[in-house]
Amino acid sequence: MKDILHIARAHITTALRERITLFWFVVFPVFLLTILSLIFGKVGNEGEISFEISLINQEDSASSGFAFSDVIAGAFHEMSTTVDGALEPLFSLHTLDDATDSDQFLESELTALRRGRRAAVLLIPAGLNQAVVANLLQPDASTALADPVRLQLFMSDSNAASTYASQIIQQVLTEIDRRILVEMGRFDDNQAIASETHWIGGEGEETSYVDFVLPGIILMGFFVNGLFGVPGTILFNRDRKVLRRYWVTPLSVARYLVGFGLGHLTLCAVQFVLLYSLGVFVFGAAIRFASPASIGLLILAATTFMAFGFLIASLAKTANGGMATANILNMPMMFLSGLFFPTSGLPVFMMVIVYLNPVSYLLEGLRHSVGVQNSTLMPALTILLVPIGWILLSSLVTSRRLKWDVER
Amino acid sequence: MASATAKMAFTMKVSQLTKHYGQTKAVDGISFTVPHASVFTILGPNGAGKTTTMEMLEGIREPDSGEIEVFGERLTKITRSAKQRIGVLLQEGGFEPYLKVHEVLTMFASFFHRAIPVGDILAAVELTEKSGALVRTLSGGQKQRLAIGAALINDPDLVFLDEPTTGLDPQARLNIWDIVSALQARDKTVILTTHYMEEAEALSDEVCIMDYGSIIAQGSPKSLAEQLGEETLIEFRGLDVSARAWENLQLFCKAARNDQMVITLETDHLTDTMEALFAWSRTHDFKLRDLTVRQPNLEDVFLSLTGRRLRG
Amino acid sequence: MKGFRALLVAELRVFSRDRMGMFFTLLFPLVYVLIFGFLMGDIGDVDQAHFGVFFETDAEEVLLRQTIDDTGSMHLLFFDSQANLLTAITDRRIDFGLQWDGVALQFYYDANRIQENFAFEQAARAITTEFNLRRQGVSRSLPVEEVSVGTIQSVGWYNLVLPGILAFTILSAGLFAVSGHLTSMKERNILDRLIVTPMRPMALLSAIVMIRMAIVFFSTLVTLAVGMVVFGLHYDVNWLRYVIFVILATLGTMGMGTVIALLVRRPSSASSLANVLAMVMMFFAGIYFPIEFMPSFLRAVSRGLPLTHMANAMRYVTGVVEMSEGEFWSITFAMLGIAIVLFPVLARYVVRPTRH
Repeated sequence: MKDILHIARAHITTALRERITLFWFVVFPVFLLTILSLIFGKVGNEGEISFEISLINQEDSASSGFAFSDVIAGAFHEMSTTVDGALEPLFSLHTLDDATDSDQFLESELTALRRGRRAAVLLIPAGLNQAVVANLLQPDASTALADPVRLQLFMSDSNAASTYASQIIQQVLTEIDRRILVEMGRFDDNQAIASETHWIGGEGEETSYVDFVLPGIILMGFFVNGLFGVPGTILFNRDRKVLRRYWVTPLSVARYLVGFGLGHLTLCAVQFVLLYSLGVFVFGAAIRFASPASIGLLILAATTFMAFGFLIASLAKTANGGMATANILNMPMMFLSGLFFPTSGLPVFMMVIVYLNPVSYLLEGLRHSVGVQNSTLMPALTILLVPIGWILLSSLVTSRRLKWDVER
Repeated sequence: MASATAKMAFTMKVSQLTKHYGQTKAVDGISFTVPHASVFTILGPNGAGKTTTMEMLEGIREPDSGEIEVFGERLTKITRSAKQRIGVLLQEGGFEPYLKVHEVLTMFASFFHRAIPVGDILAAVELTEKSGALVRTLSGGQKQRLAIGAALINDPDLVFLDEPTTGLDPQARLNIWDIVSALQARDKTVILTTHYMEEAEALSDEVCIMDYGSIIAQGSPKSLAEQLGEETLIEFRGLDVSARAWENLQLFCKAARNDQMVITLETDHLTDTMEALFAWSRTHDFKLRDLTVRQPNLEDVFLSLTGRRLRG
Repeated sequence: MKGFRALLVAELRVFSRDRMGMFFTLLFPLVYVLIFGFLMGDIGDVDQAHFGVFFETDAEEVLLRQTIDDTGSMHLLFFDSQANLLTAITDRRIDFGLQWDGVALQFYYDANRIQENFAFEQAARAITTEFNLRRQGVSRSLPVEEVSVGTIQSVGWYNLVLPGILAFTILSAGLFAVSGHLTSMKERNILDRLIVTPMRPMALLSAIVMIRMAIVFFSTLVTLAVGMVVFGLHYDVNWLRYVIFVILATLGTMGMGTVIALLVRRPSSASSLANVLAMVMMFFAGIYFPIEFMPSFLRAVSRGLPLTHMANAMRYVTGVVEMSEGEFWSITFAMLGIAIVLFPVLARYVVRPTRH
């Protein structure tokens, strides 16, 4: 028994001391979780994203007699001041105080928009207030005019930020529109039909990004550990004849494997603890892995990926070849699994990979068991059978083909 | 147990050990006995079957047929339980680069039922100051000492040393020779292979020479050398010897050979040959340089038996 | 000159025999582009969404149906009970659902489809707004016109992503040409053996650079072609600037690779470090999501990364975005500058005997 424990300990110690291993198996998943949560977790929350937009007001509300343009301008000014507690306002507003240069200003802002320095440019043209009044009196009256006056929202569809910002601005304008209609007595708010939002599954509200992504990141950690760690250690130790020194002692291959497996699973446990703690204590993840199903799936996942690593090691001719294979398989298997993006719209030849990929099944199962997925794309039984199938296949191939010593 | 071992005449007896690779007979039914508490050296040129024999005795290759009797048990191959009392220093091997020296030894100790304290082994191979160093920071000689430590960690009764001093500096080599002597003093049996003639001569009690899968000679270094009879060897530097001079040289000695620019004459009649040699050198106006007269050694035995040099 | 040609041929042969190197430089970007293209293609595309509707009451049903038809082109499915509607959501037969009880518009979403819900919520908002306006016989008062000043008709988000991937391809190729290929030659003492020949180190370096450059070039062109053919993306390539930029950027990234090679003690660690840096840069360079989505301190980091500017430049030369002449040429000359400063250093590195 102590020989097995020592082999396990040696595996763990080595992994934690080798800087590159430490990076890919520990630092990288942590980094990924942090980045994704920081970025995608914040989108839509106030105070955490900010767009630079310009507002050009060519309307003279004093002379037009109506203040619609002021309402619009005022709304955007308000949205560009910092709300209490937020880090930065949603919009960083560029305006010109001096009205005379406004055409020139418009040109320069449009250029800035084209160059990606602005997310959107909103032009309140002269005559807007009149146009609004006309519309209030008779629907769509303003468009019948010879020279239709419209609020112009300039955006660039070559720019993702611009697309997003313009959608937000459209929503703001819709809301202002409603306010105007209410104010002018054209729209009765009391008669308005409200919309209610219901979230199915989850905890009655939309699942947070970190809850959604955490199971996947944990599995990713196990995955790279198995995919790279197993061939890396076994093949390099074999080729460096480290293993040969073991085989002249009473240590058997079987006991070595048990020790190796124990060490590997311990490393996975370390990854889990790190990522889970980060998710819960730093990013406020609410999911819990305490159920038997979740724990079982985690262990199954760690074992499946370890088995996969052995499969690669068995089929590789040299250590470098094995690592190259691992590198080639890494990206497709990680992405074609639903880990980062949904796999629903993929063409057939890619779906084949999704369905063969053990990661897809384990991910579905884990997400479902922690409550961030309502139903599974794969039938429930396959979630267990496919990974187990891979384990069996790998055991078969390994026992037949893995060479435990180089040619002497 | 110790006393039982001491009473045994031999530690290991090999009978008709055979290994084929396809049609080739790498080891062709060899038999020998390794006396207890002796240093038993196996010599042979490359391809002689020596490596394969060692591997079978170390338990990392299975014999096709034959019997190995070790520690009183008759086996067809070395078993895991036999390995408990065997220590092996492989010719080539690595250690996990990111483990510390003492961690490596502790791990190896755990493979056996019985082990010597790690501190004692470290002292025996003079690696105590390097106890906390990572394997990857060790020099070649230090790694070799670590390997010896790993081979001795279980206080084995039978130790295999496969080319223990190859690539080491003279001081390190002497240290290892001391370790071998110490093992012998403690009643351990050592099976050794080496490319160094002086090492074989200095350490061995018994030598067995292999070639083409068979044993072609066996005995103590002295008795093997004596097999060459009353022979004396005369050597001198042999650059630019004309064909005619060379012909004449053959006339007054038993045999002559010229390799690596050294001419060696074998003779049973030293004085006569010496006189004839001096005459020859005057006749052919050949300056005798580095003239040496010596008795045959193991290298010469080897050469005469196999036609090849020990260091091949 | 004969010797130089021999070096070129040798280097090309080495490359073509190094199957792994070939795969990574040529095939990998393609596989990557394909997978990403298909994965990201339909995200949040409401037009393809399946929308389930349950009319609990037939009050105003006609108006509501008309509104739904007019506000989007989703696939509509009708349900006869709330239970069926909700089951359809959990089973993913529909993407989101609406229950109309005559009092409020109840929209149902799958809580876990967080990457797609924003688009569905937007559609829901549009339906609600429009429905309310029509019910009261009102239409919008604010006339709004959205004008795109984009240079090309972008075919979705991936149109913008691909040039960024090209920039990343150039970055990896340049980094690994030095911090992978050259450092491995150094480690295997091949460089030492070449140094003792009469061949000047600069000649060897030039041969390597030229081959790598040609390969990178070819790789980016193939990737562009794949994007246009498989995904129907639109580009308006300014070939002169494209060629200039790709050449100088490759040189510049090789210069960056030199810095890495000099920083690490063991040559074999150089490629690992290059791998790490490239990966980190890929996240922060605004290739997959706009920089605006990052917290402000990360935005500053992003603006300091070479890859961010390279990606912008690639978007410019492929006609996706506009850029001032000044900005384009500063980026390009910065790349050249890095190369000019670092190539002599690289030449010395090649010559320097390997320390063991």
